[in-house]
Amino acid sequence: MRNPWARTGNYKTSYAQDTTIFATYSEQASLVVFLIGMLVLPRFLIRGDMQILDLILIYALAVLGLNIITGYAGLINIGHAAFMGVGAYTAALVAPHLPFWAVLPVSGLVAAVAGAVVGIPALRIKHLYLAIATLAFQLIFEWAVGHSPALEQGGAMAMPRTVFLGYEVGFKNHHYFWYYVTFAVLVLLAFAFRNLLRTRFGRSLVAVRDNDRAADAMGMDPGRTKVFAFALGAFYAGVAGALYAYWSRAVVIEDYSLMISIKFLAMAIVGGLGTLVGGFFGPAFLELLDINMETFSYWIKEIYNPPGVDVGSAIRPLAFGLAIVLFLIFEPRGLANWWRLLRSYFRNWPFKY
Amino acid sequence: MSYFLQLLVSGIVVGSIYALAALGFVLIYKASRVINFAHGHFIAIGAFTAYAVATSLGLSVWVAALLALGFTAIVGYFTERVFLKPLVGQPIISVIMVTIGLASVFGGLIHLTPYGSGNFSLPHFLPEGGVSFAGISVSYPQLLAVAFTGVFLAAFGWFFQRSTIGIAMRAVADDQMASMSLGVSVEKVFALAWAAAGLTAAAAGLIVGAISGLNLEGLVGIGLKVFPVVILGGLDSIPGAVVGGIIIGVLENLASGYLDAYIPGGGTGDVFPFFVLLLVLWFKPHGLFGTEEIERV
Repeated sequence: MRNPWARTGNYKTSYAQDTTIFATYSEQASLVVFLIGMLVLPRFLIRGDMQILDLILIYALAVLGLNIITGYAGLINIGHAAFMGVGAYTAALVAPHLPFWAVLPVSGLVAAVAGAVVGIPALRIKHLYLAIATLAFQLIFEWAVGHSPALEQGGAMAMPRTVFLGYEVGFKNHHYFWYYVTFAVLVLLAFAFRNLLRTRFGRSLVAVRDNDRAADAMGMDPGRTKVFAFALGAFYAGVAGALYAYWSRAVVIEDYSLMISIKFLAMAIVGGLGTLVGGFFGPAFLELLDINMETFSYWIKEIYNPPGVDVGSAIRPLAFGLAIVLFLIFEPRGLANWWRLLRSYFRNWPFKY
Repeated sequence: MSYFLQLLVSGIVVGSIYALAALGFVLIYKASRVINFAHGHFIAIGAFTAYAVATSLGLSVWVAALLALGFTAIVGYFTERVFLKPLVGQPIISVIMVTIGLASVFGGLIHLTPYGSGNFSLPHFLPEGGVSFAGISVSYPQLLAVAFTGVFLAAFGWFFQRSTIGIAMRAVADDQMASMSLGVSVEKVFALAWAAAGLTAAAAGLIVGAISGLNLEGLVGIGLKVFPVVILGGLDSIPGAVVGGIIIGVLENLASGYLDAYIPGGGTGDVFPFFVLLLVLWFKPHGLFGTEEIERV
């Protein structure tokens, strides 16, 4: 008799069954438990923790977008923070006139247009050349914002206070409110991300990544697929940018700089390129590492603190760089692979087979 | 007219720094198809090593410069051995990311020394003043920078044309399989390419030190400017690196000389090379002298 709660064998008899996301009830149940857990989590956390949790969720959203571009379509993107910045600046400009639930998709769409424009060179160039083109876009974006008087030349642009259904978001509930908003958006877009590969477009993304000439011969349009991949990934980044703008209450160019683009790439790789869970593990791991290194640097200062040296600003990039390098050398498939191993260990637990 | 010529001359000086920096970058790319995002940090390591040796040990700047060249070459060599070698055969993104990670590590390590922030200048070792003709003035350090670059390029030209190792490196760049079957150690060539890149990067850093002050962000910024240079010249072309470096240096100076007045905040020179980069990528992706890749199914 088939046990619907555990995977006791392969009972799939049709293609439709083979493409289901959840193989067993226990997987569905664990997802429900996880979602409920995330909903009640803020009850147990203080304001400072909520701030970090919000940041991780917003970055997770941006990294999901990067996973579409770099993970699924294989296009190296060193300008993802600029897409996020396009979304954030759009949010700063339209937020005084629109409610926040309208600002988010608008920011996403404007960023998607920017993404498509940046993706146009992908019609002609690829691999390293494309990576360098996105790098140029990132630097030009930073410079253009820094020289636009309309955008405060990269200085702080304040975001208005949000009122939702008569509920005013203020100092005390700010991080809690944006936690739930971010979480709702994230669940929605993660659902779309998870199902992307089950669509025609998603499969052509992967085909183009693996061999674009073969994909071309099979009747797909690699150029258009790449441009759409950029637009879709940039949409995620744009929504994340608008959320970041609301969360940090101001838009500053430093939050969308080349360093952040590199951070996103690192998060995607440390989490596991092209995986959904990796999109959460990567940001969580690197952000928590960063915070712990800040504490660690106080400890280092007791031992090594010569004049003229800022240990804090040395330890953080050092740990960040080492994390990237060590993951690439020892676990190129990222934390998602550890998660996979852990799950496959517990699949038949407590039985041995 | 003299304003234009003045911009042109200082552009050539800046361009020769870019040419030297790009030379090492192209060497790495040619040998091992790796894009090195840590190149700016190699430049910084070279420059600050020279500074540290010259100021704290009190040695002459020339000795310090030689030591810095050697040290950075060793850093380059071991970077390849320890971090790049395990990634041979991995996808491009892994290789790019490992150099980005290394850039972060090097940045952190430099921040652990007192050279992480602030400005430093090498002790004066060149005569003050300069020559001027037709209203253009060129200082001696600038002249020396161009001469030094010329000497370096000539030395590298000789190295690639005549020496056994140089010929082996060209052979590997051309066809790895064929050179392997002819007894060239491809592994050794990869490591040597990185060592040579470290050497040229250090030379670029020293010239920056001779002309103006040393500052970590500025030196790392040169590592980014290398991208427009190599794209314009062609990613795998050594003459392209030199020509591209000088063109980008001149264009950058002309842009900041003529366009800054119209842009609020100025700073056109910092971004103009990247516009050039995008234009080149759109219209002539393989640059002036790069090899066009022809793909077959």
